Amino acid sequence: MSDLALSSRKPAATLNGYRIVQSISVFVIALVVISPLFMLFIASLKDDRFQILADMGSFRAFWVDNPTFNNFREVGNFAGELAFGRYLGNSLLILGSTVSLGLVINSMAGFILAWGSLPGRALILSVIIALYVIPQESIIMPLLIIVSRAGLSDTFTAQILPFVASPLYTFLFYQFFAQLPKELYEAASIDGASIFRTWWSIFMPLSLPALATVSILMGIETWNQYLWPILITQTDYARPISVAIATFFGQDSIFWDRAMAASVLMMIPILVFYLAFQRWFISSFVGSAVKG
Amino acid sequence: MSALTTVPKPKRRRRSIIARVGWPRFLQEIGMLAPAVLLMTAFLITPFLLSFWTAMTNQPLVPRPTPVRFVGLNNFLRILNDDLFWTSLWNVTRFTLWILPVQCGLAFLTALILNQKIPFRNVFRGMFFLPAITSMVVVCVIWGTLFQYPTGPLNHIVVALSGGTIQPIDWLGDPNWAMFSLVLLSAWQAYGFQMIIYLAGMQGIPDELYDAARIDGAGRWGRFWHVTMPGLRPTHVFVLVITTIQAFKLYTQVAILTQGGPKSSTETVVHYMVRAGFEEQKLGYASAVSVILFLIVLVIALVQRRLMRRFDV
Repeated sequence: MSDLALSSRKPAATLNGYRIVQSISVFVIALVVISPLFMLFIASLKDDRFQILADMGSFRAFWVDNPTFNNFREVGNFAGELAFGRYLGNSLLILGSTVSLGLVINSMAGFILAWGSLPGRALILSVIIALYVIPQESIIMPLLIIVSRAGLSDTFTAQILPFVASPLYTFLFYQFFAQLPKELYEAASIDGASIFRTWWSIFMPLSLPALATVSILMGIETWNQYLWPILITQTDYARPISVAIATFFGQDSIFWDRAMAASVLMMIPILVFYLAFQRWFISSFVGSAVKG
Repeated sequence: MSALTTVPKPKRRRRSIIARVGWPRFLQEIGMLAPAVLLMTAFLITPFLLSFWTAMTNQPLVPRPTPVRFVGLNNFLRILNDDLFWTSLWNVTRFTLWILPVQCGLAFLTALILNQKIPFRNVFRGMFFLPAITSMVVVCVIWGTLFQYPTGPLNHIVVALSGGTIQPIDWLGDPNWAMFSLVLLSAWQAYGFQMIIYLAGMQGIPDELYDAARIDGAGRWGRFWHVTMPGLRPTHVFVLVITTIQAFKLYTQVAILTQGGPKSSTETVVHYMVRAGFEEQKLGYASAVSVILFLIVLVIALVQRRLMRRFDV
């Protein structure tokens, strides 16, 4: 009740105990989150797979005496066995194509839904929102029939085309375009710009936040695909790195050194982007959730 | 008056789109919308509708000379009579019941801490989100070594903390522990997402509410219980629902680390479906499982809608 009067004294006393608990918990969480990742990077620099396991039980897991890139050299081939150079390239190709096509196609559709004059736009929009509920896992079996009957087994196309157009990303673009001011659209049409021009030269340059959000969400999703590529790839030709890493687990005795190096290879591209655009990453994931 | 203003409306509506905007514009609009609509039709709507049809046939993965037969609801009956399916459903339920408190609880507590003015707040937030962008395959490699039996890091920690009273645990090999081990790994990987959703929710609560509570004499605990918690109700619903849906789709960790074992203790619905469709080549049967999976997800999503409507407006 007399909180205001006492405030100079009381909180100062409780604050310290509270602060200590707070700092300790942040420190513990940071340790739990970071140490496994740190361990991965350290272990990838150790040459002996039995030593890696032996070191795991002690603080030696966080230290490497003679760092070597041997593991990376072993797995970094572009053909033959352990062709992780190739798998990484495959993944990057799939990522680049899916995201760039996805940005164009979903934003065009979102733009027409927001500013076009076609009849039935509201209906299409509600169908798209309803489609969002369908989980990928529940359509994957019939999708396998469609794609293999189309002769697309074991191709890049099979890993790119089905995931380019997406209800979520079309909706995110629609939502972003719809909240831009009407004057923008009207000014463009008075100047005689076609609807395509209006989208490309007026709206797209203003859509950096939406483009970033969709690139990041789509990028992570594509990069981490696992179930679909395992069903659709049979050879090295279009195999992404996620599937290739999983094959380490099929062996009797796991080559942890190589698995660690391959994992680091897979982490690096995402990590570089994440460190550069951290704020964007976090706001993108928040943005994907506000939909409800 | 009202008669005068309503007269032009039906007239304008009857004018066709082409008369209103002209052919070039009409064709451009179609051209811009068509790629997305066609691709979604081909790769989302068609397989979705097809799954209901395939589920009622004996469709194999590789085409056979014998024609595909319509089998009605037989696939569903066989699924519902298969003990392994019920085991897998029970397993994902068990997984959900574990992951909700572990993952969402941890995310909530972390968000509470990071919502205060602590030094390096953004650094910690960025750090805690790191596992969420790490691929599940990589997470499995990392945790595959952490789970080593009997001398892995986790066992060392367990033995050291218990002072030797607890024997090393065969995390992935013991049917009593395997699912819980997957819970630990999954929570570690995904909790950063829930954390930032909670943080966003907490930052959406106006400061005035806290000030008002403070003036009314509410302490730290009172403010938490009467301001933070009610303000987070929609966030709680969202986080719990999204986590539940994710949990029911559990697959990658299982496929890589346990293959459903030991003794089917980590068999999940999606793993069961992929085994039937891909390894046993019974696509019709697998499609029936996927229809059931869709219905489960749909029910969860509808429950979320109901709850959101009640809390939000």
